[in-house]
Amino acid sequence: VMLGSTIINHRQHVGLQKLSALAEITRSSLGPNKNYKFIQDDTTGESTLVCSCFRILESLELTCSVGQVVYETIETHHRVYNTGSGCLLFLAGAWSHAALECLHRGISVRHIISAMSEGMEICLNVCRQCSISIKRREVSELCPFNVSTVKDSHAHQQLTPRASERPFNLGPQKKLKLSRHFRESESPSISTIHASQLCSYEPFFPDIAHIAETLSHGCTDAMNLVVKASQMQSECNQQDIAFDVTKVVTCVLPGLVEEQATVLPGCVVLVPAEQASVAHHLKEQHLKVALIHGDLAATYRHLGYNRPKGIQSVSDRLDLSRLSKEDTWMEKVVTLLLNLEVNVILVSGVASEKVIECCWRRNILVVEKVKASILKAFAVSTGAIPVTYATQLSKHCVGTGLKVSIWRDLSNNDRKRGTAVNITTDGLNCGLVTVILTSSVHAKLQTLEDQFWACAYRLHWALKDKALLPGAGVTEMVCIQHLQNEAEHDIRNPTESNGVSSQQNKPRTPANPYRDVVLTLMADGLKDYICTVMVNTGVFSKVGARAAVIQHLQDYHGTVGDVAAKFSQLFLHTDTCYNATPTSVESSETPAIKTYDNLCVKQEVWRKALDLVFLVLQTDAEVITGVDRKTNGAQEDLMFL
Amino acid sequence: MSRVVKKSPSVCTDLPLDNTDICNKLSLLKQLLISCFGPAGRLKQIHNNIGGRVISTSTSSVLLSALSSSQPFINLIRTSVLNHVSRFNDCGLFTAILCLTLLEQAKQSGLRRNVSIIVNKHLLGLCTSYLQGQNCGCKVKLDFCSSQYFITLAFSVISSKPACVLTEPEALHISKLAVQAFLLTVPCNNTGVARLGKTLTVCVEGHPVLDSAVFPGLLVDMPDIFFLNAENLHGRSLCTVLFSASLAGDLCELGDGNIELHGDADTDSQILDQLLELGKQVVQDGVNLFVCQKVIHPVLQQYLRGQSVTVIERLGISLMESLSQLAGAQPVATLHTRIPPKAYGKVKELTIKQFGSKTMLHIHPSGESAICTMILCHRNDTMLSELKVVCQKTEHVLRLTLREPCALMGGGCTETHLAAYIRNKKTHCLGIFCCSQTEYLLGAEGFCRSLESVAAALDHKCGNSLTDLTHAHYWTLPADVVEDHMENSLGVCGCGLVESCPSKKWTYLNTKYPEFSPAPVSKGTHLQVRVLDSFTSKLSGLQVAVETANLALDVQYIIQDTN
Repeated sequence: VMLGSTIINHRQHVGLQKLSALAEITRSSLGPNKNYKFIQDDTTGESTLVCSCFRILESLELTCSVGQVVYETIETHHRVYNTGSGCLLFLAGAWSHAALECLHRGISVRHIISAMSEGMEICLNVCRQCSISIKRREVSELCPFNVSTVKDSHAHQQLTPRASERPFNLGPQKKLKLSRHFRESESPSISTIHASQLCSYEPFFPDIAHIAETLSHGCTDAMNLVVKASQMQSECNQQDIAFDVTKVVTCVLPGLVEEQATVLPGCVVLVPAEQASVAHHLKEQHLKVALIHGDLAATYRHLGYNRPKGIQSVSDRLDLSRLSKEDTWMEKVVTLLLNLEVNVILVSGVASEKVIECCWRRNILVVEKVKASILKAFAVSTGAIPVTYATQLSKHCVGTGLKVSIWRDLSNNDRKRGTAVNITTDGLNCGLVTVILTSSVHAKLQTLEDQFWACAYRLHWALKDKALLPGAGVTEMVCIQHLQNEAEHDIRNPTESNGVSSQQNKPRTPANPYRDVVLTLMADGLKDYICTVMVNTGVFSKVGARAAVIQHLQDYHGTVGDVAAKFSQLFLHTDTCYNATPTSVESSETPAIKTYDNLCVKQEVWRKALDLVFLVLQTDAEVITGVDRKTNGAQEDLMFL
Repeated sequence: MSRVVKKSPSVCTDLPLDNTDICNKLSLLKQLLISCFGPAGRLKQIHNNIGGRVISTSTSSVLLSALSSSQPFINLIRTSVLNHVSRFNDCGLFTAILCLTLLEQAKQSGLRRNVSIIVNKHLLGLCTSYLQGQNCGCKVKLDFCSSQYFITLAFSVISSKPACVLTEPEALHISKLAVQAFLLTVPCNNTGVARLGKTLTVCVEGHPVLDSAVFPGLLVDMPDIFFLNAENLHGRSLCTVLFSASLAGDLCELGDGNIELHGDADTDSQILDQLLELGKQVVQDGVNLFVCQKVIHPVLQQYLRGQSVTVIERLGISLMESLSQLAGAQPVATLHTRIPPKAYGKVKELTIKQFGSKTMLHIHPSGESAICTMILCHRNDTMLSELKVVCQKTEHVLRLTLREPCALMGGGCTETHLAAYIRNKKTHCLGIFCCSQTEYLLGAEGFCRSLESVAAALDHKCGNSLTDLTHAHYWTLPADVVEDHMENSLGVCGCGLVESCPSKKWTYLNTKYPEFSPAPVSKGTHLQVRVLDSFTSKLSGLQVAVETANLALDVQYIIQDTN
């Protein structure tokens, strides 16, 4: 094995350049107005329509090592949080640009890292201070929006959020009125359910629909589905507030118009025409169900079973009348199913054609490829115990109380998956809901599904955090101001040791002479972020957005609270895309911030973006193993060991 | 038709250290390793040429395993260092850099090879006896009554690897966890032979580092959590049986060869009957927890669950050993005999813990068990894998303190201190060699410079490396500081034990300075040591480096079979 290693030039850090170039692809997918992108594969001619940063990266085949590290980070983040990937990549790009600029100015890596880490602490503190708790018990504290007015730029060491002298009172009563007003404009079916619950639970019922709306980030339709799902779950659990994202599944149906998207309790499966007739037969009955964890076939063996090799079967007589092994098994299984009076079998794997046909004749509905999470939910709600082999079934493995109904017959466009069947339980303890996403444009389905999950997880994290962050760039604006204040403080008092570290009494760490430069550049990264979002809303030009942001920062220099308030106003007055009902501000003297972000997601995204920058910034060489000197010998930048 | 291919002759390299190609490669390797050294070291992205997984690292064990060379001479050094790393898990970069610098210095000095070897050997003896002696000035006795030194030791290891991308509070959190895990694995009862326990690491990706935690007992991943009946688990002692044999119900022990079976015979159901028989015995014997290293037949699982036995399958061999130690159970290797009563063990209780998307079953030990599980969380996989390596390293380093309860001052101070000690000592032992005095002094100077340049390798800012003339600790001066304000900008030394004061005198490393006996730091200092190195592994690293360098100096020919 040969080894090649390239030394990355220090002043022109190639890795950072790659990172910042890669981040450009996410520029148009920030903010509520996202642009679709076509990604075409030149070799196969296939193309995909993508909208989110994660899907773009997924479709691109990134071969460079920086690209792989980026993809790995984004993928992990997306798997856990389902939202914020675009912001992550964009900030990684913006801050790697800042780091590059620092290197150009001859600032050492160590200084860059220490100052940027401090900058991150400042930003995370801002998040903590800006966060608005969504308390469940006191309606009056529904949204106490406290931003500490930091007069002394050093005072942010007092990390505890405190009521400011000038709080932005989003008056609680006003808020509630506002939300009722919203509800009226929504489809009547939801509002009636919700309003009736609100009446009976008023003092303790947090306004989930309102929280959700502020988190929709332009995907109003998707968020409405999330709210519906959550309402269905709360009804089912008879809890005042419920949204269990793990008990939500999506079912994507092409060929229907988008308005037909809806939420159903239980699960929805697509079955072929023959099975649909069984479903017809079974509807409006209390059914018994068996759950099979594995395949439903005679030859199936459990995972980890090794089929014996080298076994020969011998027999002393020829018996042509004997049934085949499969037939014997089938007879056994069918007898068992009939004895146990099973009507529906949910199988996590596949079922053999023969079994399906056999069951069909006896009016037993067999559903294949059921997700493990669905199986689990039905196990809980029907009392059924999943088994691996059908022959294991006994009386106490069979669940009761299942219901089957035909949701929609789609057989005219697809015979194989012709009918959508809705399977539910009559018990209230199920909690499983299915969201049906539809579109007549097939290529859009993936995006719709992604948007739904992004909204679902935004609500999930908000409820988990019990807090929200002011959105629409307000939090970032406050961060910029804090960063700039810190930087200016350094310029004014250059001899004094740096603000944050001065208190911790560290004789080893001498004052970082480049802190102001690094912090300013970091703030510029956030500025770029806000401007990009503003440009993407379509209201601002690139120059206009930049000017507006800078003007604002100048106008409200030194008073942190105001900059946030007025900035949000600026956003609200000009930007209609954020709001379903743009008329909402007019009545209130104090500005209502109508877009919120998730606290933990934002903090994680920022940290992860900076982690990426640090990883790449600290890397000075690539070690490539398995390089053949003969084939790669011509490459000048490779050194061989 | 056979064809005879003429064998190509072997390649013989005479005096490899005089070969330019080898020297270039040695210096490239040294450059590569030096750039990784210490907390400010640079990372390397390791991947293969067909776009495999990218690893960002600066850890010697990962790096050196990837750096295989076409040149056997390089591989000789590499393997030697890797061998040290596999035994001690720490000080790999120190060893490699010292070894390569010694070779370079020997070449520069122009001494005969055998002279260099003798001098190196003698000085190594001086160093080891000084380090092991009572009045060693760069050693700290570890006090088992306080965890402070242990946390410092762990923190030094963890913060020396920047690819973990930890903030200071995060690094401290992990250090404390490492010490906590270490203490949990030291058995408390002192009857009989004490046996160290084990820390198992579970990685959870995508979550904040501060969510990492240590638990006594074992945490087992349970993907099929819906089989668990939570009410069964709590608050009672559970009789446990462990199987290392597969209970999948197949004929896996057959081996090769054919078997003829009667057409009516159903081997599957016969084995299943035997499995169920086994299940009955286990239930009769009052077992509540049934664990198998491999697969358990679903029917047996169903039967056992029906008898309210908790079943865990596919535990894997690595957890098996720890679980048998935790429960005090003997793993059963066959299903053909009755289970002897002494094979059964006991666990205290089972609880369910949730970490991110992972649902885990927590098996609590019934008494002292010295088994614990460390959950490591990090924001992405690259940093998490480095963190895992670093935590294992820390565990090892902490365990070595049981063998030798002391630590060396880190941050380059031990190296400069040793160099000053040798410079002072060398004049006392002249004339005992088969070499001239000049040759000896030249060799000793090379040795000291090698030690000092390892300390200087910690600085990547192109600042200036200094040593003070009282304690001979290591200091760095930022590049942009004027010399007049030296005391103000120096702060403290590398290990943090010595503070700068106006009366102190410094000299640049690799310049001549008057010989002096380096003084140990007085006990009365108010400063806390900040960086500590593992005593055992650094001592071994020093020996391995010098001995490997001597071996390399001794190589006359390299004969390579090119076929």
